Amino acid sequence: MRTKFILTLLAFAMVLGFTSCSKSDKKSNYDAYQKTVNETVKNQKRNDKVILLVAFGSTWQQAYDAFDATVSAYKSAFSGYDVFLSFSSAICINRAAAGENVAPRNFYAPPFWLTAFAQDGVKYSEIVIQSLQVIPGEEYARVINYIKDFANNSNGDLDDSYLSRVKLKLGVPLLQDPETDVKAVAKALNDLYKDKATGSNIMAFMGHGNPDEYDTYKANIRYTQLEEELQTYSKNYYVGTVDMMENFKTNVLARMKANGITIGTLFCHPLMSIAGDHAHNDMAGDDNENGAPNEDGEVEDTSWKCYFAANGFTCNDNTQIVKGLLELPTVRQVWMNHTQAAINGAPLDYYHSKNPE
Amino acid sequence: MNKFLLSGLLALAICLCQGVMAQDTLKTYDLQELVVTGTGTLHLLKDAPVQTEVITSKQLKNFTGKSLQDILSFLGTSFDFNEDDMGSHITMNGLGNSYILILVDGKRMNGDVGGDNDLHLIDPHNIEKIEIVKGASSALYGSDAIAGVINIITRKHDDGLFLENSTRVGSYGDIRQHNGIGIRSGRWNSYTNFQSQHTDGWQNTSVEYTLPIEEPVTDSKNKTRNRFTNRQVAERLTYDAGKSGEYYAEGSIYGKRIYRPSGKYAHYDVNTYDLKYKNASASLGGKWKLGGRDYISFDADWNRHAYYYHYTDNTLVEDYEKSEGTRYYPYYPYLAGQEALQSDQQRTLISAKGVFTLPYGNRLSGGAEFRYDYLHAPNRVEGGTVDDWTAAVYVQDEFNPSKKFNVTAGLRMTVNHQFGFKATPKLSLMWSATNDIRFRATWSQGFKTPAPKELHYMYVKQMTGTYLYIGNKNLKAQSSNYFSASVEYSVSNLVITLNGYYNKLDNMITLVTIPTYDAPAEYVARFDPVKTRQYQNMDKAKTYGADFSLRWKIGDFLLNAGYSYLDTEADLYDSNHESVKRVTIDGMAHHKGSASLIWNHNFSPVYHMSAGVYGRISSKRYYQTDGNGKGYQIWRIATTHDITSSKRLLLSIQAGIDNIFNYVDRTPHGRHLGTTTPGRTFYAGVVIRFTNGRKTINKISSNINTKDDEN
Repeated sequence: MRTKFILTLLAFAMVLGFTSCSKSDKKSNYDAYQKTVNETVKNQKRNDKVILLVAFGSTWQQAYDAFDATVSAYKSAFSGYDVFLSFSSAICINRAAAGENVAPRNFYAPPFWLTAFAQDGVKYSEIVIQSLQVIPGEEYARVINYIKDFANNSNGDLDDSYLSRVKLKLGVPLLQDPETDVKAVAKALNDLYKDKATGSNIMAFMGHGNPDEYDTYKANIRYTQLEEELQTYSKNYYVGTVDMMENFKTNVLARMKANGITIGTLFCHPLMSIAGDHAHNDMAGDDNENGAPNEDGEVEDTSWKCYFAANGFTCNDNTQIVKGLLELPTVRQVWMNHTQAAINGAPLDYYHSKNPE
Repeated sequence: MNKFLLSGLLALAICLCQGVMAQDTLKTYDLQELVVTGTGTLHLLKDAPVQTEVITSKQLKNFTGKSLQDILSFLGTSFDFNEDDMGSHITMNGLGNSYILILVDGKRMNGDVGGDNDLHLIDPHNIEKIEIVKGASSALYGSDAIAGVINIITRKHDDGLFLENSTRVGSYGDIRQHNGIGIRSGRWNSYTNFQSQHTDGWQNTSVEYTLPIEEPVTDSKNKTRNRFTNRQVAERLTYDAGKSGEYYAEGSIYGKRIYRPSGKYAHYDVNTYDLKYKNASASLGGKWKLGGRDYISFDADWNRHAYYYHYTDNTLVEDYEKSEGTRYYPYYPYLAGQEALQSDQQRTLISAKGVFTLPYGNRLSGGAEFRYDYLHAPNRVEGGTVDDWTAAVYVQDEFNPSKKFNVTAGLRMTVNHQFGFKATPKLSLMWSATNDIRFRATWSQGFKTPAPKELHYMYVKQMTGTYLYIGNKNLKAQSSNYFSASVEYSVSNLVITLNGYYNKLDNMITLVTIPTYDAPAEYVARFDPVKTRQYQNMDKAKTYGADFSLRWKIGDFLLNAGYSYLDTEADLYDSNHESVKRVTIDGMAHHKGSASLIWNHNFSPVYHMSAGVYGRISSKRYYQTDGNGKGYQIWRIATTHDITSSKRLLLSIQAGIDNIFNYVDRTPHGRHLGTTTPGRTFYAGVVIRFTNGRKTINKISSNINTKDDEN
């Protein structure tokens, strides 16, 4: 009887042991995962300097192709640098890495890459982080925070003396500068699509935008600036977003009407680094809605394609240009120019930038 | 499709012509059944004041269903199912899971916390019968009883020794195992039940729904139904104190794993975790008999429904814990083989009830309930944990002013710490116009408290893009008004019922697409959703329709036929524009039917056989998005062969063919299916039962008015 009692207690203790998750378990998970990233970097290190491209991420094959082509273009343009690509979305990282009968695509999150760059035996002398964001908004702020965590050795597990000497550089987003970048991107787009913005043809770009009612990052204005710049080429260019206040598809339609455009063939094009979820859903998606505007104009569940078609434009699958900006070499060059500018510029001074003494 | 219907009807007609040769009565079938669900007190079905549909033990035995879903969809008239990894999404007269209250022996089903039922928790071999009461029953049962109540009455083994093994195998690796051991010693009685279910799953199509602008995906690994295995052990211990009462304690544990395959398309068919469920329950209670038909009962019940991810690949989770000592994890990796709790829902229910006979043909029931809900969801609820409590008192009087009339009136008063006070009445009338014809009418109110998930949850789903779902702390309770009228005609060998109903819901909770800028910024930055949906109280919705059923016994044959017409209207609130649009409720089909013809025959004292043809038919199912589900009809043949070698030992062999015309819905993944059936399947099973002692299941007693039992 007593033996039974002790056995029961033991079994109970074991169950408790299995269900609890101690701090050391958490650290060992983290370390095990970091180890695989370390090995990836160690095995692929060819140079003393590295460029880390950071995107939100995607699960679409077309996006993977665009990212692969971008990495290749960077490797060609920046000899002397290793080039890696990072996603900041955990869901996108997980899905890209898993799957059967496919080579794993390791787009680790930025903190893991940066930690791996600082490991013994690697310790790049220069780390260039290039944001693949379009506007300097919320996602870009996250990228900066990861760099700051790294520079400040937030988890205390990096070599401080290395951090004090490594040259950290940051390549800015596509539309960082309201003058030069906006002009360069507008010119590149017009060179590609001018025939789609003449006569009765209308070209509508769909950007993302930050959804804050209060425009925290002051970056949404780049879409407006880009539209203004494009309209110096043709009044048939428009730039709207999925999330920026007062620049939804309804606002785009209103601006068209104000310019006297009520019919024509309307081409849609994502103004995002890759053609992913938003391009396939919000822009070119099919839905059960008839797209007819209500008294306020908008229907949240309706894609741009259905919405503009319902509003009298010729807008269908044939007028959807489902291409990300990274797939346009002349636009991609603007990002690469930013990388070159970062390399040419002074290193970042982020040490103690997060926790000033 | 039509030729299937014609051939089915032809088969029925031929069998009918043969069966009409011999006449018998239905007295061993429907109307002598005891039912309890409508009023909480026992009645013969013919005298039940509230219209009740019964799936009898005989029907269950002949049908040999592999699951509760299987049983309800063929033997009920108004059910439909969408089974996925999260559970069995059952609809009843157009309303889904969360509006249907499922009871097991009169108590809320374990795992039914907020409406997501896993019907596999119920061992189909352990069901004595199923009672279905349509419409609102909140006066008696409280929250969730809006579309109706399904009461699963389990088998009881009261005497001697009982041993049973049942094994059933079928196509697609389907294995169902059931073992029961009942022992009676003096006043103590123990019953232990074990069940296990497994399927390898199946894939009706390898095509994903893609836009014309995309490359088609024709080699997806996504299955129509995923592989799963579950196991359950339950124990019930009772003490019979004789005339003074009866006491019980019971408990169960249950585990289930759903396996999710992975393919090569990150966007469509790559998964990095399986799903696991761990349930447990414990209850105790008793009944004090006060003499005659009066008693007081007490029940205390706790149950847990926990849901885990079982990682099959290394998986990063964002914002895991903001601080862990000096470490900060913006991303935390789970490694393949590890588990992580997603939600742990626990419910504690304490209730007391009394039934008293009063003068002038009155019978009074009254009770009180206290319910405490607890939800722990580390990554899905702000702060990790939320809780909720509800207290209620109710009273019901059954009044028989004459033998021909019954008036039953009930009222529940509920207090909830979130939404305050709620009163829900119910009034039922029955008039036995003649010995053969009865009329019934009901007006009742129902309510449903917002589930913790609807109030507090945050979760994402990968579909055509990332969908973000967020709870809403400002939700009000949903409420309903249900009106129904029915007529029942019964002669010795024929029972026909016709029931019309109108169910009006207010403050119906549904997911509404909201502008992304209305969602918390931190979630938007983390997931970049293509759509954000929030639970909101829609203005109103209504369902209305009619159900017809017929049972006709002709010699050794029994014919069952049911038809259900339904229409729904819901006003979907568009928060973006503060406008309302009128839609149908998702999953609704206008027409549904079921039919069966069963032949029972004793070939000799040791060999009894039954054979049945069963069919179910549904018209197109309507959805707001992702396409409508196709209409379908499915026919099945089931046979049972009982070989009794001695009074104590029974050997029963079961075999049949499901979906004999091999209908398969091959709609691409990502769009709605009418039905998930894999096509024609075969099954065979064997039951071995040893009983030593008096068998006292489902007593059929004509003097029920002097003998009572509780539920």
